[in-house]
Amino acid sequence: MTSLLINALRRIHLSLPTQTAVKCFSTSSYNSNTLDITKKDWKFPPQYTKPREVWIENLDSIEEKKLGLFELHPAVYATVPRIDIIHQNVIWQRKFRWVSWAHTKTRAEVRGGGRKPWPQKGLGRARHGSIRSPLWRGGGIAHGPRSGKSHFFMLPFHLRIHGLTSTLSAKLAQDDLHVVRDLNLPSDEPNYIIDLIEQRNWGPSVLIVDDTDIAPRNLTAALDALPHVNVMPVYGLNVYSMLKHDTLVLTQSAAERIEERILCHLHSNTRKQQAAFKLDQV
Amino acid sequence: MATVWRSQCTFTRILSGKTCRILNNAADLGSKLSPTSQSVTSRKYSNYAHSPLVKHIKEQYEFEVVKKPPEWTYVQRLLPFDTIPQVTPKESYPSGWIPPKDEAKNLPFFIERTRNHELPIYLDITFRGMRKVSAIRKIEGDIWLMNDEVKEYLKNKYCRYVETRVHELGGFIEVKGDFVNALRW
Repeated sequence: MTSLLINALRRIHLSLPTQTAVKCFSTSSYNSNTLDITKKDWKFPPQYTKPREVWIENLDSIEEKKLGLFELHPAVYATVPRIDIIHQNVIWQRKFRWVSWAHTKTRAEVRGGGRKPWPQKGLGRARHGSIRSPLWRGGGIAHGPRSGKSHFFMLPFHLRIHGLTSTLSAKLAQDDLHVVRDLNLPSDEPNYIIDLIEQRNWGPSVLIVDDTDIAPRNLTAALDALPHVNVMPVYGLNVYSMLKHDTLVLTQSAAERIEERILCHLHSNTRKQQAAFKLDQV
Repeated sequence: MATVWRSQCTFTRILSGKTCRILNNAADLGSKLSPTSQSVTSRKYSNYAHSPLVKHIKEQYEFEVVKKPPEWTYVQRLLPFDTIPQVTPKESYPSGWIPPKDEAKNLPFFIERTRNHELPIYLDITFRGMRKVSAIRKIEGDIWLMNDEVKEYLKNKYCRYVETRVHELGGFIEVKGDFVNALRW
């Protein structure tokens, strides 16, 4: 019953005042003393849209436990999801690392064809100068693909930022973004993770994002056999991976870090990042 | 004839230049080099650092690292801001800038300030000045209500119908014509 109520609340994104939330939970089976409710004080407080509240969940048991409530900044996690900008980001991520190795030979590179096949006049045949001309079967290819073609380009900086906020907002609005306290697991069995995902209805593929580069040993050992569950540090977060996985699981520190970095970019002078990309700049 | 004379001149000049250089070097050396050794050792040093006149230069200097001394506050004053600072509230601003009002947050729609605390109202001039479109960006809340009010306001002010275009997802309204000063009411 309580879970139904919670789900309904989450679905309509109703932002309850803190008092009501606590009262709602004191009647439930959860211990309200352990429920940790954080009101955040941002450097750039939200102006008009209210902050989004999310549950802090746990990973150390298969059953879902609510460990607390957590606020997310609406400028990062509750913007209008612009699917056109998300699409531009996906296209950019597919293209900038794509080098096309398709290759054809021109008439100069196909073997032979140096001799005029028959005299220009007097035979009643069409005039030809080489048997490797593009008109001939087995001849060279005119305007064919030449290998090593780079499709590199850089999406403008603010479109990259907007793509991240759009995707995070879409994930949160669709209830596909979950915040966990930490990544400590009781065992290193892959079945534990599979059961956990099944129990919480997270969909087959899950992307776990942590603040640090080093994930706990139990998690990495369990995920070694699961190609559809992946771990990523915060600096690797990108639109393509978020869309590729069904569910995005952020640790609390990762959610704060993403928020802090994006808010910093939204409120700073980005002239340097907006300058034309130079190939030797990184 | 003249050319020959000139070339001879240059030749002599080069020679004299060379001797001059050696002489200058000797002058630098002071009394160490005797004038007899000048002409014998006419060596060209391609690198300044390889010259025997240059002593070993110490490139690394000894210093002591002090964490958080009181002088650091003076360094911090010189460092650039990492984010654009908040406005300090004042009675009036000499530039004519108007601070955002707090009661605006209770209205059904809201225009957020840009990162530089300016109103996001712009004029787009295209087709070599033939098309002017004023754009109000960063609109949150009920954008259609705002569209109606903007149309009503401009109609009363200019006594003519104005054409607008609303992008709901993008959160902006474009008004056909140059109404930037009117929209910054």
